[in-house]
Amino acid sequence: MPRSRSFHTLKRLGGGKIRQSWNKINLYNLSRLLSRPAGVTHYQQKWKAKSTTRAYHGEQIREKHWERMFRSRLRAEIPMDINYLARHDGSELAAGRGSGRETRPRDAINLRTNNKKSFRIPYMHMTYAPMERRLDTAVFRSLFASSARQARQFVIHGKVKVNGKKMPYPGYMLNPGDMFSVDPEAVLFATGAPKDQEAVRSGRRLKRMQQHEARQEAEAQKAAEIRRTKALEAKRAQEEEENSQQEADAAALKQERENLDEAQLKKVQRKQINELVETAQVLIRDTQNEPSAKRKVELRSFVKSAKTVSNKMQRKDPEQVDKEIEELVTSFAKLTPSPPQAGEAAKREAKASKAAAEEKEALDTEFKKEYQKSLDAIMQARYAATDESKPYATPWRPRNYMSAFAFIPQYLEVNQNICAAVYLRHPIAKPNAAEVPSPFGEEVQQLAFGWYLRRR
Amino acid sequence: MPPSMRWSSVIPSPQTCAKQICPNAHLRAFSSSTRSNAGRTTRQRRLMFQWLDSQGAAFRDPLPGSTNYLTAYDNHGVLKRVKMARGSDTSSKPADEQIDGDELSTLGAKSNDSEEADEASNNTKTGGDENRLPPEGRGDRRPFPHNKSFYSEPVLSEEFREEIWRRIMKDGMSVREVSATTGVEMRRVGAVVRLKEMEKAWLSSGTPLARPYAQAVMSMLPQTQWNTRLDARRPHEPINSLPVHEATTLQIFEPTSESRHFTREDAARAFDENLLSTDERIPHPEMVAKEKDLLAGLPAELVAKRARAREDAEIEAKQKQQDRIAKKEAAIKKVDTGRWQFRIQEVKVDDAGVDGRGPRGTGWRYGTPLMDRSRGQIKIPTRVD
Repeated sequence: MPRSRSFHTLKRLGGGKIRQSWNKINLYNLSRLLSRPAGVTHYQQKWKAKSTTRAYHGEQIREKHWERMFRSRLRAEIPMDINYLARHDGSELAAGRGSGRETRPRDAINLRTNNKKSFRIPYMHMTYAPMERRLDTAVFRSLFASSARQARQFVIHGKVKVNGKKMPYPGYMLNPGDMFSVDPEAVLFATGAPKDQEAVRSGRRLKRMQQHEARQEAEAQKAAEIRRTKALEAKRAQEEEENSQQEADAAALKQERENLDEAQLKKVQRKQINELVETAQVLIRDTQNEPSAKRKVELRSFVKSAKTVSNKMQRKDPEQVDKEIEELVTSFAKLTPSPPQAGEAAKREAKASKAAAEEKEALDTEFKKEYQKSLDAIMQARYAATDESKPYATPWRPRNYMSAFAFIPQYLEVNQNICAAVYLRHPIAKPNAAEVPSPFGEEVQQLAFGWYLRRR
Repeated sequence: MPPSMRWSSVIPSPQTCAKQICPNAHLRAFSSSTRSNAGRTTRQRRLMFQWLDSQGAAFRDPLPGSTNYLTAYDNHGVLKRVKMARGSDTSSKPADEQIDGDELSTLGAKSNDSEEADEASNNTKTGGDENRLPPEGRGDRRPFPHNKSFYSEPVLSEEFREEIWRRIMKDGMSVREVSATTGVEMRRVGAVVRLKEMEKAWLSSGTPLARPYAQAVMSMLPQTQWNTRLDARRPHEPINSLPVHEATTLQIFEPTSESRHFTREDAARAFDENLLSTDERIPHPEMVAKEKDLLAGLPAELVAKRARAREDAEIEAKQKQQDRIAKKEAAIKKVDTGRWQFRIQEVKVDDAGVDGRGPRGTGWRYGTPLMDRSRGQIKIPTRVD
């Protein structure tokens, strides 16, 4: 489904369509949106309301598809006061009314407040609630993508998992309790500021260089593999003479099963070392604050030692490898530069985070470890570095005009650190609040609801 | 017809031509064609950039220590609350009413009217001392100017999430207990722990977290901060909400005698035969039971003892249910081939019914169409376990 040329339209006052996007044109249109749809007859008003609301709510979905999704039932919840429930059993509302009692007891009035208008449930804002169940919409609502279209692309490109399994269907309807996670690199790309032309060009150059290096390394590995298999075959041929093939196979299978856990552990360890190597390489390449020649030498020697550990780990005990990794981390933490003092805001933030960190330390002392601190320092250094291999501007900063669109609806619980979220429940309406994020007023929503309600 | 003759003196030189089409061409090292409408600036486009440079300039970067939505600003791009503070510098807001009592009952009692009152407490994050912003109100947290029912509700701060995780995983408290004491919905408590566990696994395996992104997003959102002081703690959200049941959305006429003691149970039964009463449908019925005990004037130890007994009974009931499910599962014979697990169950032919088309019948049945090829059947999975 190609994006139409006029996705973000600039029209006369109130003419531009509002989209699920963080674009600046969209923000401008949003600031000039008219509260009532134009149109003379009721039918015209309904048509217009449907057309403007559908341009925002799931414009990527065919109308027929949405008509099938639409439900006239609108969910709502009313908060209850436990003290009131404990004091009364419900009979106080009716007691004595037959014998002339006119007013309700004070408690009952307080429950709903004196002004009935302030207890209204905005049901009409729930018209497009089924749309919020879609996976692509939920990814956009969790602030993992800068538009619903981009979220849809992420899903189709296999960057989104539901309950740990890849889910390539943007139309997957999330069930309450489903956890979805997006590839953090994709999220950083979607929400981060874009690179400038120069950075794009140098990034391309770097990529070409890396590809060339990778090709050479792969060839070298292939040659080594061939050598190794030949040696292994010779050895096996020797063994075959001693034992029968069947017996050896059974033994190998048994050994394999035993080694499975160890293999998995080693896989994790290898990943850890690879991350460290990658971070060191990023720091070497950093163009903004280029390391001194001495530091470069140190970093390169660190990379070498880390690679040695990685190459020799297959023959070693996992516990010993763990120790070696810890040593690597502490030695690397010493090499990382102290974070640059950027400005007032950064200082203030650092102060606040420091205060929070102190309190956290007081809460659980058992998790305070030198090792973890070193890891954090390494990560901080990596985030502060300029890494041209990334598709976004580094050090990472949010894209322009993001803050005007940054909100997370209550039916989602998001953990930004791992770019994952849980769809807690379906969106609901509450007194004076509705959970479906929509830029339109109640009148427009009501007209749209009326449009879809016909023939039902 | 042959093409019209062109005189070489009339045709402009390539240099001047490039300059005319693209004035910045000499700045670029390579040649490229520009988009056809790049130089076209319509009136609407001009107006938009005018707005983005004046009123819209505030939205370009996040406002430090606050949310930054359209409704927080007036037509001139000035923060409404700054204007208000300037106007009434001397007058001060009355302090919020004090709350006391024990953790559980305090939060439960406050859940109803907390919406308006919790603004001040949510705005602990502020800028520098010298040019401090006035705290944002609920009205400043509307991202859409026309939708007066949608607010950007606060999210749990990182510290709050850590505290919830600690209470569940370290202190061994139940989800129900944590929900009642922290004022966070039970489903949210579960989700927080699940996500936090994943985060810890990432940390221990050395997978890098998206820290810069998380810090940026959290600075743009309103947050509920974890407060170690019990009396200063406010509930994050109403935890005892009653879902509006479909059966109760219709008005009914129920004739009954004047003298009848018509309770909530009776009302539920009047709406639907199987509808439970409010007291049983709210998420925390045990909080109501405890409140009843307190109102009856029972001593504190007895209240605690009865609460514990109720909790034990609930755990036992849940255990029984789990046992039943486990027993049912154990009755199925499983053969694991490594590639596939076969589950062998007893099947009755009669399950297919008299006409052989019963929904509980097993296997393909002659004459019953397979719907999976017909039009409009949704093929994408409906659940992921």
